[in-house]
Amino acid sequence: MLFNSGIFALFLTVFLPLYFFSRRHVTARNLLLIASSYVFYGWWDPRFLILVAISTSVDYLAALGAAGKEVRAIDQLKSAAFLVLVTLASLGCATSKDWWLAAPVAIGMAFAALAIIAIRRSAERVRRKYWLLLSLCTNLGILAFFKYFNFFVGSATALLEALGVHAQAPSLAIILPVGLSFYTFQAISRTIDSYQRRYEPQYSIINYAAFHAFFPQLVAGPIERAGHLMPQFETVRPFDRQLFTTGALLFAWGLYQKIVIADNVSPLANAVFNAPANQTAGATLAAVLAFAVQIYCDFCGYSNMARGLARCLGFDLMINFNQPYFARSPSEFWQRWHISLSRWLRDYLYITLGGNRGGQLKMYRNLMITMLLGGLWHGASWTFVAWGAFHGAIQVVYRALRMDSLLERSRFLTLRGFAIQTSSWFITMCLVCIGWILFRSRTFDQAVTVLGNLFATSGYSADQFATLFAYSAPLAAVEIYQRASGRLEVLTAGPFLVRYTAAVALMLTLVAFSAPGGQEFIYFDF
Amino acid sequence: MISEERSAATGLRPAGDRGKRLPTPLRRALLGAALLLYTLLFAEGFIRVFDPQPLMPRYITGTAWGVRGNIPNADYWHHTSEVDVRYRINGQGLRADHDYPQRKPPGTCRIGIFGDSFLFGLEVDIRDSFADRLEKRLKSQGFAVEDLNFSVGGFGTAEMLQTYEQFGRNFDLDVVIFSWDTSDLEDNVRANLYRLKSGNLERANGEYLPAVGVQDKLMQYRLYRFIADHSELYTFVRDRISLFLKMRIKSERKQSLSIADAGEAEGGPPSPDNDIDELQHRNKIDLSAAILTHADEVVTSSGADFYVIDIPARLSRTEFASPLGVLPDTVRSRLKIISPLSALSKAARPDLKLYYEKGQGHFTPIGVGILVDEAVKSIVSSPRLASCAEIAHRAAAAHESIGHAILSASAPGFPRVP
Repeated sequence: MLFNSGIFALFLTVFLPLYFFSRRHVTARNLLLIASSYVFYGWWDPRFLILVAISTSVDYLAALGAAGKEVRAIDQLKSAAFLVLVTLASLGCATSKDWWLAAPVAIGMAFAALAIIAIRRSAERVRRKYWLLLSLCTNLGILAFFKYFNFFVGSATALLEALGVHAQAPSLAIILPVGLSFYTFQAISRTIDSYQRRYEPQYSIINYAAFHAFFPQLVAGPIERAGHLMPQFETVRPFDRQLFTTGALLFAWGLYQKIVIADNVSPLANAVFNAPANQTAGATLAAVLAFAVQIYCDFCGYSNMARGLARCLGFDLMINFNQPYFARSPSEFWQRWHISLSRWLRDYLYITLGGNRGGQLKMYRNLMITMLLGGLWHGASWTFVAWGAFHGAIQVVYRALRMDSLLERSRFLTLRGFAIQTSSWFITMCLVCIGWILFRSRTFDQAVTVLGNLFATSGYSADQFATLFAYSAPLAAVEIYQRASGRLEVLTAGPFLVRYTAAVALMLTLVAFSAPGGQEFIYFDF
Repeated sequence: MISEERSAATGLRPAGDRGKRLPTPLRRALLGAALLLYTLLFAEGFIRVFDPQPLMPRYITGTAWGVRGNIPNADYWHHTSEVDVRYRINGQGLRADHDYPQRKPPGTCRIGIFGDSFLFGLEVDIRDSFADRLEKRLKSQGFAVEDLNFSVGGFGTAEMLQTYEQFGRNFDLDVVIFSWDTSDLEDNVRANLYRLKSGNLERANGEYLPAVGVQDKLMQYRLYRFIADHSELYTFVRDRISLFLKMRIKSERKQSLSIADAGEAEGGPPSPDNDIDELQHRNKIDLSAAILTHADEVVTSSGADFYVIDIPARLSRTEFASPLGVLPDTVRSRLKIISPLSALSKAARPDLKLYYEKGQGHFTPIGVGILVDEAVKSIVSSPRLASCAEIAHRAAAAHESIGHAILSASAPGFPRVP
């Protein structure tokens, strides 16, 4: 179900009254949230609810075990019952041909039962580690199979072919479940936090399942930390008109970013990236800039919608984008872009690898590995790996040249400082845009062609940039105002009439300028 | 609740600041009304500045024969950034400045034009409308003709046929012209006046009057007419709602076709979307082809000649697509078709507008001229029209001889004819 679809509007009209009716009773509210979230996700394909349920059931137990808490028989029973219930419900909604899926679920449950028995029999000091391992194996196993199986097999076959060994590779028709990378990472983070004693898991599977499948952020984040979001599922959430109004406005702003800006500039990018040969330099530059705007508005728009929707329900989700295109260095860009993923990679990968400890070379190595895997997280393709490597490499160069400290020292109000900051911003944006070429291209050949087109000197005309300018200028104006005022939500402050007028203008823009045909969000594929 | 810290970050006011003074119900109502008025005025201004709408109010009502018609005696304007056009509807609901008697004048042939907005002459003055220019051209070629424009914006073939059968044929028509454009495929399905059962055309509903009841009620109010005539916001909202409803009807039909299809497949899986689209498209074509064939039978059985005029869709200033290609060959070979496609393509230039581009995309006077040229080429060979030409020639000859006589009579030496 897409936020920008009619069916979602219908879903909300049914859900919201029920939610506000049940919101004062935590268990009833969470049960409603679970059911609604599963309907929301299952609308796309009910079979994949089983994966959400597997992740929920395993991580419910694993977090308890990893935190050193006793995993009782009743908890195991609750976990198994939840999985069986969701499996039966999802297969009931699927076609009769899909009932075979019950078999792998049953086998998986048997394996899990054996693993749990083994863990319970293991020594006290390693038991927590085994629970963590169970969570990692389950979540990363699901991710590896559904997202990377064909990629790894294809790459291995290509490598063998290059070495002169002929290999017949199995290729499976695997559908990538929507939002898989998001909810598995969120589940892993909770178990790791429990293991590291940063979070204390509770025994309620209802509360946890509601957190795990919370529909505003289930399919494209933000990847929340249990310490921040989970307690909100354990209490009655506040509700007042202002929270609801500001939430709705945030949702509308996100919708504007998605259906007015991203969807309207996407044809400019698609036209060039789908057929890059024989494109002029102007058209290519417009396409690259259009994609930079598209991906930002697409993903930031989704995050804003998720945050707005959650706020309407009384929940607070973390800020996922903080004006990344104002960044003056690659590391600042990553502190502002997809913040929830950046922090996840920093906390669970970069720091685990050693972080800044162990000297410069180790730090560079850790940075490269983190960014490479961050690139791979975005998709099973070598172009994503190259995109990650590119961002890793430029961060290494920036660190080696101590550019971040130079930027910190320079003051914007002096002429020299202004020149340094402005040129740093410009260079960073150029680097980010080069990165987007790798990100958007399906193959390296395509990326090279697009890059080559950019360096041609002819073929520029104002018309090529007119559409892009028309749709991005209001966004730029708002972001500049946000930055100047230091407030990320502009429509929530100021005189009533100004805010009201801006809100009406936003609604009219949504109706008048939305692109025809609802397009999916880019990050749904990740 | 919102914490102080968060309120500073997001600009939300803390709970304590709110609700200090509650307005009385009257003040609330006044405030609400003022806010509503402000919203409407702001929205009107916003639309006028950022998304200007062509002001093209619809003066449509229900007719006694169960389909839409022009409001008799209506007098209204359309304003777009390209044209300002006045429309005058006669007392019979035809675009004309006078009423027509049911019996045609002796020696005159009547051409009945049944079409949608293109043949109605939307966006062009009556002097540039297809009906008016066709009449003038034929008259200039010696035909004694009278064109009656029964067209109504939004009509599909089924509504044209119903208007002909229950109203137009009373006017003793010699030639009947139906328009055919791409929207007719969808319109004929949506109207549901006819349906196909086992390949045979049969009547379905007796009437098709979408939103006419509401429109009739609203049109009684001067304020509504003022808003409809002058508000771009109203036009914007009306067009969006209309588009939404059309899409919804389309998707419901698709759904019902999918269910029917699954039923026929005896419990098999429902057809994929492409198959449903294909099935739906085929059904639309079959229905429209059957209606056109039936119209041909009805018109020719009443002794008139029947023509179908193809209205090509504009793809760009120099590219057009004909909707004729979708009709089966058997239907196309049976009908007398007037197609301006090649003439339009020949005349097209990047600096020349054959269709308007800012309003609703109808023909410009140049485009109408091309349509008329093509129509004249076909219609002059109409057997029924030939009789009017003979009569006209005889009348002209008689007139000429009388003229000679008068001239001779007025010659010197003869008494002056009083």
